[in-house]
Amino acid sequence: MTSNRHNGIFDGVDRVTVLLYVLIVLAGFVSIISASYDDSTARTFSLSHFYMKQLVWIGIAWVTALVVLLLDERYYHMFAYPAYFVGLGLLVAALLFGREVNGAKAWFEFGSVRVQPVEFAKIATALALARVMSNYSFSINRPGDLFKVGMVICIPLMIIILQNDTGSGIVLGSFLFVLYREGLNKWLCIPVLLIGALFIVSFLLSPMMLLLCLILVCTLSEAMMNGLWRSRIIFLAALLLAAILLCLVMALLSPGSLDLYHSLLLMTLVAVAVAAVYAYRSHLTNIFITLGLFVGSLVFLPTTDYIFNSILKQHQRDRILSFLGIISDPLGTDYNVNQAKIAIGSGGFAGKGFLQGTQIKYGFVPEKHTDFIFCTVGEEWGFLGTTFVLAVLCLLILRLMRMGERQEEPFGRIYCYCVASILLFHVLVNVGMTIGLMPVMGIPLPFMSYGGSSLIAFTILLFIAVRLDASTRQFSLNRIA
Amino acid sequence: MSDSESFLRMRTLQVIVILIFAVIVARLGYIQLFDRRYAELAEANVLRHVVQYPPRGEVFDRNGEYLVQSRECYDLMVIYREIDKRGFDTARLCEVAGISRTKLERELANARVRPRAPRVVTSYIPKEDKLRFDEGNFRGFYTVYRTVRQYPRKVGGNLLGYVSEVNDTYLKRHPEYKVGDYVGMSGVESAYEPELRGTKGVKIQEIDTHGAIKGSYMNGRYDSLPEPGSYLVSTIDARLQLLGEELMRGKVGAAVAIEPSTGEILMMVSSPTYDPDELVGRERGNNYMKMLYNKRKPLFNRAVKAKYPPGSTFKLVQGLIGLQEGVLKPSDLHVCHNGYQAGRLKMACHSHASPLDLRFAVATSCNAYFCYVFRDILDNPKYDNVKEGFDVWKEYVESFGFGRKLGSDFLDEGNGYVPDRAYYDRQYRGSWNSLTILSLSIGQDALGCTPLQLANLACIIANRGYYYIPHIVKQVEGQDSLDRRFYERHYTKVDPKHFEPIVEGMWRGVNVGGTSTMARLDGWDVCGKTGTAENPRGRDHSTFLSFAPKDNPRIAISVYVENGGFGASAALPIASLLEEFYLTDTIRRPALLDHVRNMQIHYPVYDK
Repeated sequence: MTSNRHNGIFDGVDRVTVLLYVLIVLAGFVSIISASYDDSTARTFSLSHFYMKQLVWIGIAWVTALVVLLLDERYYHMFAYPAYFVGLGLLVAALLFGREVNGAKAWFEFGSVRVQPVEFAKIATALALARVMSNYSFSINRPGDLFKVGMVICIPLMIIILQNDTGSGIVLGSFLFVLYREGLNKWLCIPVLLIGALFIVSFLLSPMMLLLCLILVCTLSEAMMNGLWRSRIIFLAALLLAAILLCLVMALLSPGSLDLYHSLLLMTLVAVAVAAVYAYRSHLTNIFITLGLFVGSLVFLPTTDYIFNSILKQHQRDRILSFLGIISDPLGTDYNVNQAKIAIGSGGFAGKGFLQGTQIKYGFVPEKHTDFIFCTVGEEWGFLGTTFVLAVLCLLILRLMRMGERQEEPFGRIYCYCVASILLFHVLVNVGMTIGLMPVMGIPLPFMSYGGSSLIAFTILLFIAVRLDASTRQFSLNRIA
Repeated sequence: MSDSESFLRMRTLQVIVILIFAVIVARLGYIQLFDRRYAELAEANVLRHVVQYPPRGEVFDRNGEYLVQSRECYDLMVIYREIDKRGFDTARLCEVAGISRTKLERELANARVRPRAPRVVTSYIPKEDKLRFDEGNFRGFYTVYRTVRQYPRKVGGNLLGYVSEVNDTYLKRHPEYKVGDYVGMSGVESAYEPELRGTKGVKIQEIDTHGAIKGSYMNGRYDSLPEPGSYLVSTIDARLQLLGEELMRGKVGAAVAIEPSTGEILMMVSSPTYDPDELVGRERGNNYMKMLYNKRKPLFNRAVKAKYPPGSTFKLVQGLIGLQEGVLKPSDLHVCHNGYQAGRLKMACHSHASPLDLRFAVATSCNAYFCYVFRDILDNPKYDNVKEGFDVWKEYVESFGFGRKLGSDFLDEGNGYVPDRAYYDRQYRGSWNSLTILSLSIGQDALGCTPLQLANLACIIANRGYYYIPHIVKQVEGQDSLDRRFYERHYTKVDPKHFEPIVEGMWRGVNVGGTSTMARLDGWDVCGKTGTAENPRGRDHSTFLSFAPKDNPRIAISVYVENGGFGASAALPIASLLEEFYLTDTIRRPALLDHVRNMQIHYPVYDK
């Protein structure tokens, strides 16, 4: 492979990916012009305009992409762990010394330039995850290895959540996508998703209902994994009966000392112990994974109320409540989403035309050049424009997955999938929130939202994948020749 | 993990990705293509509909002179949310708008309740101040073009009515009006509101999220211009009206003049009157309250609403009914020795020759003669009893326009009052006869007539038997004719042939010898009838009914002066001067003019 170093840096580079990347960046640039154009400002080519600044950032990003392509792909493998720890260090540093913007203490400020270390932590985490999972002896369904993977993902996630940047934190949760590709039992993926959903709606349910749901989800997913339905149903029935019996007996012995919820809780703990013994004796190790998930959730679920009330800020609570339809306040919390929907909806089929969007131009859409940049596309270019942008993004994600599939090394494959999952999550949440499908979380639209640190980070993220893919292709092309 | 398992998982993930994008695109398709609500909401966001108020129609008198003009002025509006939060030059704004600081603060506090809604801070800013305001560039404040009324002759307060902003009760009854609209509240302004108000226009502006105006929407394609209200040509003669108001000053009462051949009201004075300009502009509220609490009630339009006993002028009606019923011939003689006596009842009369016929009885206003006539009508053997006779009499009276609205274009018209059987049954517990209600014969008792009805009576006699419904507007811009009811002759139940002796009597009263000789105008054959109405509120009311000339009459007039004494002492000179001025354009009796002008009547009833 070293013999090929004389080849140009573009050899083996996936041209489709680069083309899609350029398209989406240009679409973003056009939108930023619309979003920040102001008839009243005199000079068109002044650096004080957002779009001129963005032009500079695009230049820097493309230079960065070249640098990424120039580096040998082995460095990415080699420096995965160091980069991960540097990333963690930056996150902690931001938490301690960073600057607070919109309630999140997640920014470094250098002069007029603000950088969000979480953008780079995502790359580092993706690299580290790829490195961990590409070990020869790694088996994803082994509890020990799964624990390692969990650690790699959860440590930065915790720090980011502590920074109060919940949206960016949850991005890392999207690596479940990668884990599934790498063979994680699907009956583990589904309960993870369900438990995630339970966390969101936990304050809607009584503790009793929550506990029942949790037991049901875990037992059923375990039954789906291992078969043996009869014994699982007997187990469930026995647990419920025992809980009710305990409650009745205690009611007779000393009335009021133990209610149904606490009886169930008590019996559940007994049942966990029974299940652990059973797993050990029948050598069904994956039961331990389910049990770990269950106990973890059991410990954390009661804390969601606490998280919801003390860690989340008022505006975040309002956003979640308003998204779930529990509160409605069109002038307050719903205002942003409503205005975003109005802007997009009023675009119609072909849009109002370049620089003609009234909702954008007259400032009705908040954050119109950053998080809500998609509204500009929707209003000025209509359904055609939004479909075009989404098609490009969708193709890029599918292309990344395909690139992953043709890697010979698991490292490259896992990394490509990581990039795809990060992009997918960003697009889903960002576009979803502008059209009312998702609660408002402050995460940017990849390659399109205004902001240097986001654009450069996504460019690096993408081009590392391109670089890894290029060397594979170079190698195989040379071999054919 | 096997290759087939890997492949399956890759496919699953691809499907998930595509599904996610499909859901997003479906949702986008729904809100962008099918749900048009968002386009409307977007317009509501950026478009502000600014109402363009039309200038209100103007009113001319019958000779083309302005009675009411519209003058340009501006309302100062505020949208609280858009005020500059860093503060603004309040002192300058107050000075330009001509309001006190406390008023500004009060209005801003009110505006704060609905911060997005435009609210009037103050009205009636003249054009010069508006230009100064524009220079000041106060964010959140803007002006709206309005017109206010202005009265060059300063006449016809009650007649023309006033205009004010719609209030809540009015809005409830008339949902087509919006807050901030002006509407005619009385008089001509109210009667011809639909014609005068015009059509509002709208200017659609694009605004940004701060409410700052960014330009006109679609280059004004959907804007509409206000259409000014139609002008009206009134039947009023402004100069006669002015003289009438001048002559009635210091007296309480009313004077109405009508052109008999058309029913056009030439003059309508209600006294005391007021300067209509006082009910325009910022002081309107204060002035209105002052008038409302004025004991002489200048806002009460006596010309069409007051119920006055007609007194002797009613003898004309009595005589006509008698003639029609056949109980009276013009040559019938009755005896009068200072009054009419029947048993213990005595109706006094003044000294005059006796016996006398109908013509002389009209000219000299003999009470006794008409007592005979009235009793003959009611006690006519044709009818079973006196009550039947009374019903017949009442029908005749109503055919002269008494006891009901005449149906003019004037909305505030009163009914007057003609008592009916039920009234006297209540009054006398069912037992009454022609003697009991004898004072009806000379227009007393419960009878109540409006000065307009009396002027209409003058028209009926002048026309020998019919009238046109009196009206105040001659022509509306853009309309060929008025309502057809104003062109129809309305006959009374008395045949026209019976009118000549009555007219003759009225002519003699003025020109030969009788109670009205002071009304004589050389060469004009004036006919007239005085009236002196007893009333429980002090001195007798003075009234005079007249028309001239005798043949092809041009003016019919009724003047009513409360507590003016004899008909000939207050009402007659006023009516005579007005006739003289209208017919000859000059007044050759300056001494009489001065006498009437300086006549101040003392009103203990009002000025307690």
